Amino acid sequence: MDNVKDLKKKRKREEDNVEKGKKTLGQYILGFFLLLYTLFCALPVLLVFIVAFTSEESIAKKGFSFFPESLSMDGMHSVLKYGTQLVTSYGVTIFVVLAGTTLGLLTMSMYAYAISRPGFRLAKFLSIYLLIPMLFNGGQLAGYIVFTGYYHLKNSLLLLILPLCVTTMNVLILRTYIVNSISAELLEAAKIDGANEYLTFFRICLPLMKPSLAAVGFMMATAYWNDWQNAVLYIDKNSKKPLQLLLYNIQKNIDFLLNSNNVPQAVRDAMGGTIPKNSATMATVVVVIAPIMLAYPFFQKYFVKGLTVGSVKG
Amino acid sequence: MTKNKEGSVPANGSVKPKKKKDTLLANTRKHLPFVIFALPAFLILFFIMYVPMGGIVMAFQDFKPMKGFFESEFVGLDNFKFLFASKSTFFRMTRNTLIYYFIFTAVGTFLNIVLAIALDQFVFKKAGRLMQTMMIVPIFISFAAVQFIVYAFIASDNGLINKLLGTSISFYSEPKYWYVILTIVKIWNSVGYGSVLYMSVLAGIDTALYEAARIDGANKWQQIVHITIPSLVPMITVMLLLSVGNIMRSDTGLFFQVTRDSGALFDATQVIDSYVLRAILSTPEYGFTAAASLFQSVVGLVMMLLANGAVRKISPENSLF
Repeated sequence: MDNVKDLKKKRKREEDNVEKGKKTLGQYILGFFLLLYTLFCALPVLLVFIVAFTSEESIAKKGFSFFPESLSMDGMHSVLKYGTQLVTSYGVTIFVVLAGTTLGLLTMSMYAYAISRPGFRLAKFLSIYLLIPMLFNGGQLAGYIVFTGYYHLKNSLLLLILPLCVTTMNVLILRTYIVNSISAELLEAAKIDGANEYLTFFRICLPLMKPSLAAVGFMMATAYWNDWQNAVLYIDKNSKKPLQLLLYNIQKNIDFLLNSNNVPQAVRDAMGGTIPKNSATMATVVVVIAPIMLAYPFFQKYFVKGLTVGSVKG
Repeated sequence: MTKNKEGSVPANGSVKPKKKKDTLLANTRKHLPFVIFALPAFLILFFIMYVPMGGIVMAFQDFKPMKGFFESEFVGLDNFKFLFASKSTFFRMTRNTLIYYFIFTAVGTFLNIVLAIALDQFVFKKAGRLMQTMMIVPIFISFAAVQFIVYAFIASDNGLINKLLGTSISFYSEPKYWYVILTIVKIWNSVGYGSVLYMSVLAGIDTALYEAARIDGANKWQQIVHITIPSLVPMITVMLLLSVGNIMRSDTGLFFQVTRDSGALFDATQVIDSYVLRAILSTPEYGFTAAASLFQSVVGLVMMLLANGAVRKISPENSLF
């Protein structure tokens, strides 16, 4: 590991030197293409933000455009009209993200610690037990029937939390980190000083695992934030709808109105007020994606590290 | 192997462990705290992952939700007959799953590598890092949100593309465009993220190698061909082999959300995962859906075992088990 670090440092020094000397034409051409690709990634996101603040007349006339004729706050205002539902959904999503990430990090690091202990013979069985779900699973339909028909958990937030809580890959990342980066001598020393296994783990090991916990935690939080599939399958009560399900419902409502010509006029009128307009829809999208986009740059280094660690077995 | 040891626990337990022998039971008792540590995750995996595995019996049943797994009638392999007979649906979704796997893997891997090398070679490091940050952002946008972005581009009445071209193509009912649309969305979504792994390999190359090549008169292009690319080969091999294990799985969000689950597009967009999700949300033909799921799981298992075996031969430290 140290070797790689040295290499990286050395490399960086040389890069700095090269950077001074070698701003050739080729580099500018390369930069141009990289910039093009960056725009390809960034512009669609920018479009969402622009449309969210575009007036409905401009969309009707010019369509969705990077250069709208007129701006307006109508979209954002009608998002506030969903008002209570949006606040509820935000609450549900935040609760699921926090509870799920905390529970997952705790249970997974405990499991990772257990299977990384030398001399613990059950560890081998536990490792295989952990790997099997990655190789084989019952499929979505079986999960659905078991969770709703046998556990009776329809409309329970547990079904938003537990399915993403413990994943084989994340446990492996944490185990790799414990094996490679936490000195066995230190843990041994704690035990000699009289700390029992629980103290050793919670007071010594867990605090030292911080970098890997940050990496895995961020990936988990993102997975929870973006999970729509479990919500679509298991949640239909308004009071428990997370944000992603709200987005899904908005799209379904539009489809419903566009595709059903035989909906009575009275019903249409009644629903008229709640048909999300284009700008309102995009404003909702903004409200849903903005928090992750704001948080991500702060976690980037952990996240990149976690991704790299995950690829190497300990 | 280890499972057999597990099976022998009660036998050992009934005999008193001899003093010096570290039987599994004695060992477990000695390390009881580790058992307690492992228990919560063990139980979550058990209830969420293992119990539903029992649901594969549905594939061999005339499953009725009212009767459940235990009461439903067994019909042997009937569901599988149905599976292979109803060519139109099963054949189509399997074909699409495979087609997209190959397109995404080929195009994705190629672009991951190109992007990683480009960012690695770029001397303006600060600008490079900033651009990389922007390139990774799309992976954090859920497909439930992405589909609105795609809609803004391809809507028939006021979509950006139709307005730009002055046309009114209704993309949501024309399957032929979707191989391209989904590939573009997939690239947009995951290439920036995918290249990170390759960049970490490139960061580990000793610059002395490049220096030596330069002294020997190799130009930039030759350096890339003879130093950079060969150093990526192990990682490329490993990533490709591991992806084979997921050959029957798809990014459900991409195929279910981005296409708005539009029936007119199924010819080009329905994959096994999106079929199963749609089936659950409407009224599933349980037998058929379960049989398709089992087929998917078994093929996935076989491919995963083969792939892992191959990785273990080539680069043991990257194998999963």
